[in-house]
Amino acid sequence: MTSVVAVVEAVNLEKTYMLGKVAVNALRGVNLKVETGDFVSILGPSGSGKSTLLNMIGALDKPTGGKLLVEGTDVSGLNDNQLSDLRRRIGFVFQFFNLIHRITARENVELSMSIAGVSKSERRRRAEEVLDTVGLKERMNHKPRELSGGEQQRVAIARALANDPKFFLMDEPTGNIDSKNANEIIDLVKKLNEQRSVTIIMVTHDQHLAMQTKRILQMFDGAIVKEIVT
Amino acid sequence: MKVGDVFSYAFGGIRLRKLRAGLTTLGVVIGIAAIVALLSITQGLQTTITRQLQTGLATDTLIVTTGRGLDAGIGGGFGGTDSGFALLINDTETINELQNVETSLAIIQRTGYIQSDNKTWFTNIVGVDFAKYASIYSNTFVAESGSIPLNPGSGTVVIGKLVSAPWNNETILFNSGDTVALLWTNATARPPRNETHTSQIAAVLKEVGGFGFGGPSDSNVYIPISDAENFFGTNECDSIIVKLTNGDATTVDSVSKAISDAFDGEVSAISATAVLSLLSSVFSIIQLFLGGIAAISLLVAGIGIMNIMIVSLMERTREIGILKALGMRSRTVLLIFLCESVIIGLIGAIIGIASGWGLANVVAVFLGRGGIFMGGANQSAGTGGLTITPVLTAPLLLGALAFGVGVSVIFAIYPAWRASKLKPVEALRYE
Repeated sequence: MTSVVAVVEAVNLEKTYMLGKVAVNALRGVNLKVETGDFVSILGPSGSGKSTLLNMIGALDKPTGGKLLVEGTDVSGLNDNQLSDLRRRIGFVFQFFNLIHRITARENVELSMSIAGVSKSERRRRAEEVLDTVGLKERMNHKPRELSGGEQQRVAIARALANDPKFFLMDEPTGNIDSKNANEIIDLVKKLNEQRSVTIIMVTHDQHLAMQTKRILQMFDGAIVKEIVT
Repeated sequence: MKVGDVFSYAFGGIRLRKLRAGLTTLGVVIGIAAIVALLSITQGLQTTITRQLQTGLATDTLIVTTGRGLDAGIGGGFGGTDSGFALLINDTETINELQNVETSLAIIQRTGYIQSDNKTWFTNIVGVDFAKYASIYSNTFVAESGSIPLNPGSGTVVIGKLVSAPWNNETILFNSGDTVALLWTNATARPPRNETHTSQIAAVLKEVGGFGFGGPSDSNVYIPISDAENFFGTNECDSIIVKLTNGDATTVDSVSKAISDAFDGEVSAISATAVLSLLSSVFSIIQLFLGGIAAISLLVAGIGIMNIMIVSLMERTREIGILKALGMRSRTVLLIFLCESVIIGLIGAIIGIASGWGLANVVAVFLGRGGIFMGGANQSAGTGGLTITPVLTAPLLLGALAFGVGVSVIFAIYPAWRASKLKPVEALRYE
């Protein structure tokens, strides 16, 4: 187990926003290590900094202090293009799905591969494959508005899977879905983690949901205050 | 992201907002159509006028008129002078003595009517020496029916094709052998009086098609110069046509100068080539002017594009956030927006060129039918007039295309740049 590089490692990570003239310390020294195959939930009340942390890990934003290593690379040293390239290897799943409404489910999945420069035929094949994995092969030619919340989230998971990401980042993935569908989503995510060793970092304020994961990191006021291994 | 994918993504974005994209495109269409229509008509007009001038155009002829010539401007050249100087019919003798002059011929003309029975036609009555005229304009002063007498007796008239058959159909107003009365109003007489001159039509001219430089015209009637002197009661002529021994530029210049000197600078000798080059420079100015006006409408279209793109940018902020979260580079976002403007510009320019071309042809038909341009004094309404064939040259076509796309892209740069600079976190949060 020597020299195993963590998928994500945060060392004393800080993020300060300027909200008008007031400096807001969203993250005050977060330490975190996520390894391949992990299923980590970050639990905390709103304003605790969990979404900020997720944005940092997702290379959507840069930290203002400390170190954040994604597969050994320090994110704060990357330029705009390098950050974009890194994002292609991260599977995002958002609370509000963030699908593009004018194109079909399959085209949404293909879009992320098209951004990564995958050829058209390969995109098509792979999109069908991952949509099959999430159980939506029959409805792949529907547009997001024609799908239920649960189905839309499964499209989003398929899209995240498409580029074979280093890890999944989920931001309240069941926050906008009814409980029955939420359970299906969680089962799907757990299956991906258990059967395919997909590394998952999930942000939630839902205690019940967090209990389904392997590790729970409790955040409060910009720092991780407690870790629970379930 | 591959270029083709960028393009198809941009196209999808346009397709979604069909109405808005359509209206934006319409702006480009109107701008380009205006440019293409105006310029192709002007170019067609220039071609037509040049061609008509060149019909029977001889580089070895000069037209001598009173006045200071083209250098003093068109008014000075073609209008009279205030000095009271007048060219006389026998001034041809002075000109004939100059070097490199083969022959010269005096022209007197008045507007008037040709009449027989109850038929009256408005025309230009021109007095010329038939033999000399036929030798200088051997291709155009040719009879279609009857024959042109080279040594005509008094009371002979030769009529142009459009005087014989003004509507270009079977209706013949006057024909060879008819006896007709020519009328003009002498307005300088006190009191003004109508003069009549009875003639027999010796010949109908073959269709000339243009308004040759000093040469025969389809809508004129020709009488012998001696008849004209009596009929018009004058020994002054309106112009003298000079045939040179050759058409070299140096000959043209030296004879022009010699003629001007011979009459103490009171006359000017204009060559056909000088008229053509003046015409060409006049048309360049017209084209520049009309093109400029049309370009303004395209500029307005450009601002429309910018406006629409900024609105579209706000609507799509979240979409841009998603694209960036999925790893799209800023430059690709920029390209997508620019691509949309290229598509709008391209479609707008293509439709604009097509509709501008259509418009030009419709306008040309109306101009031709109404005879607006040439219909004036020589012909009554309803005659063939001027046929303009709009000309769409390759530079105009490509220029319009490039201009349409160029304007679209230039005005899309700012919105595209703003889109590319959006921060993913903020864009995703945008409602």
